[in-house]
Amino acid sequence: MSIRLQLSGVALTTLVLPWAGCHYARELESSLRSSQEQSLLASASTIANALSAQPQRVFRNADLRAFDARGGDLYVHPLMNQPLLDGYQEDWGIPWDPISLPTVNGYPVRLQAGSTERYLYLYAEVDDAHFDPEPIDVRPDQERFDRFEVWLEGRDGTIANYFFATNAPGLTAAQYVAKDQDEDTARVRAETRIQAYWLQTVQGYHLEARIPLSFVGGRLWTQVRDGGKGSAGFTPESHPAGGRLFFTTDGLDGLLDTFIREGTRATVIDANALELGSAGQVSTQPQGSDEAGGWYRAWLETDASGLPPLTVAGGRFGGASVRSALAGEPRSEWMRGEDGSMLLAAAAPIIVDGVTRGAVVLEQNAEQMLKLRATAFTRLIHSTVLATATAMIVMLLFAAWITFRIGRLRNAADGALGSDGKIRLDMPESSSSDEIGALARGFERLLARLNEHTQYLRTLGGKLSHELRTPLTIVRSSLDNLESHDLHEEQLSYITRAREGTQRLQTILTSLGSAARVEESIKQAERVNFDLRTLIASTVGAYRDGFPDSTFRQELPDDPCFLRGAPDLIAQLLDKLIENAVDFCPAAGSILIRLTRVPGSFMLEVGNDGPRIAAHVLPHLFESLYEQRSGRDDKPHFGLGLYIVRLIAEFHGGTARAANREDGGGAVFTVNLPMI
Amino acid sequence: MPRLPLNSRIGMIPLMRKNIAIVEDELALRENYAAALSRHGYQVKTYGNRQIAMQAFQVRLPDLAVIDISLEDEAEGGFDLCRELRALSAELPIIFLTARDSELDAVSGLRLGADDFLTKDVSLAHLAARVAALFRRIDALKRPENAEEILRRGSLSIDGEKMQAAWKSVPVILSLTEFWIVHALARNPGHVKNRQQLMDAANVVLDDNTITSHIKRVRRKFQQADSSFDAIQTVYGMGYRWVE
Repeated sequence: MSIRLQLSGVALTTLVLPWAGCHYARELESSLRSSQEQSLLASASTIANALSAQPQRVFRNADLRAFDARGGDLYVHPLMNQPLLDGYQEDWGIPWDPISLPTVNGYPVRLQAGSTERYLYLYAEVDDAHFDPEPIDVRPDQERFDRFEVWLEGRDGTIANYFFATNAPGLTAAQYVAKDQDEDTARVRAETRIQAYWLQTVQGYHLEARIPLSFVGGRLWTQVRDGGKGSAGFTPESHPAGGRLFFTTDGLDGLLDTFIREGTRATVIDANALELGSAGQVSTQPQGSDEAGGWYRAWLETDASGLPPLTVAGGRFGGASVRSALAGEPRSEWMRGEDGSMLLAAAAPIIVDGVTRGAVVLEQNAEQMLKLRATAFTRLIHSTVLATATAMIVMLLFAAWITFRIGRLRNAADGALGSDGKIRLDMPESSSSDEIGALARGFERLLARLNEHTQYLRTLGGKLSHELRTPLTIVRSSLDNLESHDLHEEQLSYITRAREGTQRLQTILTSLGSAARVEESIKQAERVNFDLRTLIASTVGAYRDGFPDSTFRQELPDDPCFLRGAPDLIAQLLDKLIENAVDFCPAAGSILIRLTRVPGSFMLEVGNDGPRIAAHVLPHLFESLYEQRSGRDDKPHFGLGLYIVRLIAEFHGGTARAANREDGGGAVFTVNLPMI
Repeated sequence: MPRLPLNSRIGMIPLMRKNIAIVEDELALRENYAAALSRHGYQVKTYGNRQIAMQAFQVRLPDLAVIDISLEDEAEGGFDLCRELRALSAELPIIFLTARDSELDAVSGLRLGADDFLTKDVSLAHLAARVAALFRRIDALKRPENAEEILRRGSLSIDGEKMQAAWKSVPVILSLTEFWIVHALARNPGHVKNRQQLMDAANVVLDDNTITSHIKRVRRKFQQADSSFDAIQTVYGMGYRWVE
């Protein structure tokens, strides 16, 4: 695995940064949420405590009996606006949250009540496809027609009976049913102060009624009757304890308003979980883009869709927090708002004289904070990702740089031992102060040592041949002296043997020093123009005499080949090539000397029919002191012959190389000599 | 290697024994050379270093000096000695005998006025022949010219007795080895003399390179006398020949 790859892997560990950032954000989020809960709960408790100190401003109704929708109790929603009497509830400004009136014969009626400061509004949807109009000069207790009956308990405690009916849908006034004690039949009188709008629909009709609060005491019963036999609702007779109206408390809204902050809605509910008053507005979906929201929510598990919705049914508050608060225990709860956003609700009980009379519910939209945190978090993630990417890029660049330097060093190390056998001592990077520089310097020291060693080896031959010459001369001159005495035959034969030994030693020393001598003659060589062809022809003739056992063939160009160089050296080069070829060429084989012109240079080839040269040996053949001959013969070999060939070829600006013949029959040594 | 008629030449040495000084730091070699030369009838004195030799030379000059180039601690002590000796006498024959065989040394040695430059590969017999030849040359120089000994080849004239050569009557100063090489070539013009034959003629054991450099030096010396000199021709792979 390359260093680049390894460092990339190491760089990947910087991914820990965004990961840790995410975890930190998640923990931060949960702690922030918890603190938000705590603070909202504390606010709720504070408000609840403040309200419990002035119960008369909160609870107008001294009736502590539980709200009983089945018994005909009705919650009157506070209305902010004055609705139009038009048979539609949409303009009430509150959600459609009706109660179904009880019926014994399947006559569905849905009813909702609301009030402004002056009027009580009733809105009912009646599923009655058949319209039974009100007859002229109606007698309500005898005739059957579609009607909406209302019993109102006045402030004085008397109960008045009204009904709405019409023979033509539209605006209509209530009919007051006067029931005298002495008369059997009820008399009907229009009460124009109580008005209603009758809207006929496909399913049945809508009735929107408006009753001045001056008519309204504490109770109200409604019953809806069909022209046929269907009916639904409550009557004072059937539900004498019911029909109570639960109003919000006047002035409580204003009181609450002083407690709350913007973006929070405070609601006071009574023990029945009915709203007594509220103030403030839960800020709705905050403006601004939602780019980061999605995955931040996913990551922080802030998706509201799994949360319980804020439930208000029939005017009554639901939910765990409200139930808990009404049980005397403050509690906060995460909820889903109407628009799907997250809400935090906190409910605290209002305890008056040890009795839980109600609760304060604070609602706060969590979205705003969430958005802020999501933005911050996104920035954090962006910057850590950027940092990671930067770190990786920097590491990659650094790795590339290191790899480049090491590669340079490696190339230099590979090439330090040149094909010419010389050692290049200069290493790149050696001036760097870091470890790579130290490595390069280490290489340099190693190479310097190696160079000394190689130099020593290279000069060893010359030195040996020089240093051994004196003792050899002593031996030989001693033999000379000995020979001059009168010796008998046996002694002479010993002397002859000793002489042969010194002769061989002499030969060895001569060849050991040959490279050094050639190097010296190269230094002093003079270049002249000479005919290479004549030189080769002449030398080959000499080789034929010199090596009578070998067969020489020559292929030369027809015209002279003039070369500028040192003919003596070229002759020596040929000597070495031929000696080499003669050594390897089998007795039956022949040695081919060929001179050809190639563009710009002459190509001198000396081929023999000897064995192939192993591939791994080929590149080293022309190196100094390279000797691969395994067999022994009578001549010493020091691996200098072909080195001399190369020295001479290079002196002429040429090259020397060896190859196996393509037909596999032997080896060819080629020397290229540029014409210039 | 054909034996040269050494004894006949030694027989030409006058009865007065010649003094030979050998300056050589290697004791064994010194003694061997001394023994050989003594056997040939010379009076030999040996010296181990330059100082001792010089002291002796200032008292009395030898008839011939054989000097090693490197003497004890002095790598070039022989050259210095040669210089000092030449200052004492211009005619004194000096032979360098050294283990060094580099051409540079040979050129330096000969330029300092040595009469011959031999490597230690030379056999004692050859050394003796050199010494004899040098003495013969000195004796011959003292005698009137003997026309019979003069060999003429075109512009070249060689006095075999005095071992001197001239080109177009201009004397060419050759060392003994060089003279013998020229002599061998010029005696049979047109005949190729290979390196071995030249070595035999010059009474030396040399490798090919040395013969080449000798030839080179000879050519240069002749070219100093006549820049158009090209009488010595190289026959590559074979040797050299004299062309007229």
